[in-house]
Amino acid sequence: MTYVDKPTVSNVVKFDDPNVKKVQKIKVMLNTGTDIYQGACKKRGSTLKDEYRKVAGIAYMDPKDMARLGVANWESVLVKSDWGEVVVYAAHSRDAPHEEMIFIPKGPWANVIVSPETYCCNDPTYKGIEATVEKSDKEVLLMADLMRSVYRKYTKNEKNVDELPSLGEMPVYRKK
Amino acid sequence: MAYEEPITDYDHIVENCTCAFCGSNCDDLDFLVKGNHVVGVRHACRLGASKIMEDEDQRLKVPMMRDENGELQEVDWDTALDAAAELIANSVRPLFYGWSETSIECMKKGLKLTEYVGAVIDNQATICHGPTVQAVQNVGYPLMTLGEVKNRADMVVYTGSNPMNAHPRHLARYSVFPRGWFRQRGRFDRTLVTWDPKFSDTAKMSDIWVPFEENGDYGFCNAIRAVLKGKELKEDVISGIPKQDIIDLTESMKNVEFGALFFGLGLTHTLSKQRNIDIAIQLVQDLNAYTKWVLLPMRGHFNVNGFNIYMAYEMGFPYGVDFCRGYPRYMIGETTTVDLLNRKEPDVFLVIAADPGAHFPGGANMHLANIPVIQIDIHWGPSTELADIVLPGTFIGVETAGTSYRMDSVPIHMKSAIDPPETCREDEWIVNELYERVKKIKEEAK
Ligand code: SF4
Repeated sequence: MTYVDKPTVSNVVKFDDPNVKKVQKIKVMLNTGTDIYQGACKKRGSTLKDEYRKVAGIAYMDPKDMARLGVANWESVLVKSDWGEVVVYAAHSRDAPHEEMIFIPKGPWANVIVSPETYCCNDPTYKGIEATVEKSDKEVLLMADLMRSVYRKYTKNEKNVDELPSLGEMPVYRKK
Repeated sequence: MAYEEPITDYDHIVENCTCAFCGSNCDDLDFLVKGNHVVGVRHACRLGASKIMEDEDQRLKVPMMRDENGELQEVDWDTALDAAAELIANSVRPLFYGWSETSIECMKKGLKLTEYVGAVIDNQATICHGPTVQAVQNVGYPLMTLGEVKNRADMVVYTGSNPMNAHPRHLARYSVFPRGWFRQRGRFDRTLVTWDPKFSDTAKMSDIWVPFEENGDYGFCNAIRAVLKGKELKEDVISGIPKQDIIDLTESMKNVEFGALFFGLGLTHTLSKQRNIDIAIQLVQDLNAYTKWVLLPMRGHFNVNGFNIYMAYEMGFPYGVDFCRGYPRYMIGETTTVDLLNRKEPDVFLVIAADPGAHFPGGANMHLANIPVIQIDIHWGPSTELADIVLPGTFIGVETAGTSYRMDSVPIHMKSAIDPPETCREDEWIVNELYERVKKIKEEAK
């Protein structure tokens, strides 16, 4: 049972705004943290489901930034930082305006691009990370597929992990 | 969201249950139970209700181990426990992480195991309010209980936290909306202030929103302290806030009867980390020269504070306690989980009631792909994708009773409402079983 299949996002991106200059890529500051949709989905346990990628594999962006990149709600963007890159959905942030700042709720997607650096203070730097955002035509991966392609724990010898069939939305294990 | 019909199809109600989600530990929940399932929850917020009415598809029900192809396979309890004990007994630098979503009773057993094998024990504070704990050690802790805030506070400040998303009933139950002894009109008798760069959901309902710039918290709090001490502010705009606004805000903070400052991870996760909290605590200390102010960190998990209290009580240190020399040691950046993983030190990782797969930076998680991981949890999560042995626990506060500590350090008994699935075992039992089996292996090897 689920409460939402995806977060409600308003649609206020104006692609034809004459003041908006189209660009390929923008530089942003990345923040991560909790969000009510992510919290509810994660703790209910629905992490394998499509719902989890819609609530945690998502970058909440300023609508002006989205217009500059030419991405609409629920289209994919590639976010790159010094620590890695990941494909997530773009969506209009309900806290806008916050130009050149994006928010990705905590979860396996955000983890790929946040900094593990603790500066000897035990807490990694989850907020205020420099990143770039560009449009992408790739699909956002489901949680199990993302974990497989990022950490490759059980597919070390596989050459092309991304071409393996998807692990799907249900637990996969052999019953006795 | 679509309208949902009220739930009428249930057998009985279990009253006064405690929510096992966030640090607000709401203990006024009613569970509607039908055939050993919770079909409805009254009084809980969206977060609490969704956790209690869990996703049955992903419930871990049987012990599992990876076979030689890396596929999870169901095994019996003895096999799984023996394999896990074998890993722990033969490891050089085991790390036991998690504990924040289980009971104090289970932590007790965990500490026994940790001490016996000389492991490191750590909890989620290491990735959330660790810097807060350090700051408290630096400059003190002007603490209160949430009941005092409810009865007395006429100004409530949230900074670096968004309770409408992370602790939804915090405002409703403890801080802003409830009517208290000295605040008979509830919300109307209180001023709600949010300091946050973002127009967050909490900021949207506040009376005053102070949008200082990103990473501006340190400068902003110091500016208020300067004004409090009667100093002249040299710049016109500080951390993005005009000078006059800072002076006005300081004046109104001085003139309340009882103020409460709540802060969250926005302060601990930015670059100045524990220094941000140092300043926030000192700000509250300075305000106390004029009137009563208190402060409290918004703790995330329902028992993350419990672990810190329990460890500090038993061992003298709040988290990241290392027993490799046979006595407890604690050193920030040295014996804490993310630093250990970054340095690729641990050779066995036991995760209980936590999800590093979902919450650790990828750079730290990379090491989990190289070492055996034992998971004790109730749901199939991102960590299961990295786990070699999976042991299904039970749900504290729903299926198993236990003790937890609220964010203001008030202990709360969480009762059980239904029976756990037959094939699952209580966390406490699992950890104790691991201890017994590790002990047996070690004794035999002597
Ligand atoms: S505020 Fe926290 S403790 Fe209270 S019902 Fe919501 S999630 Fe549970």
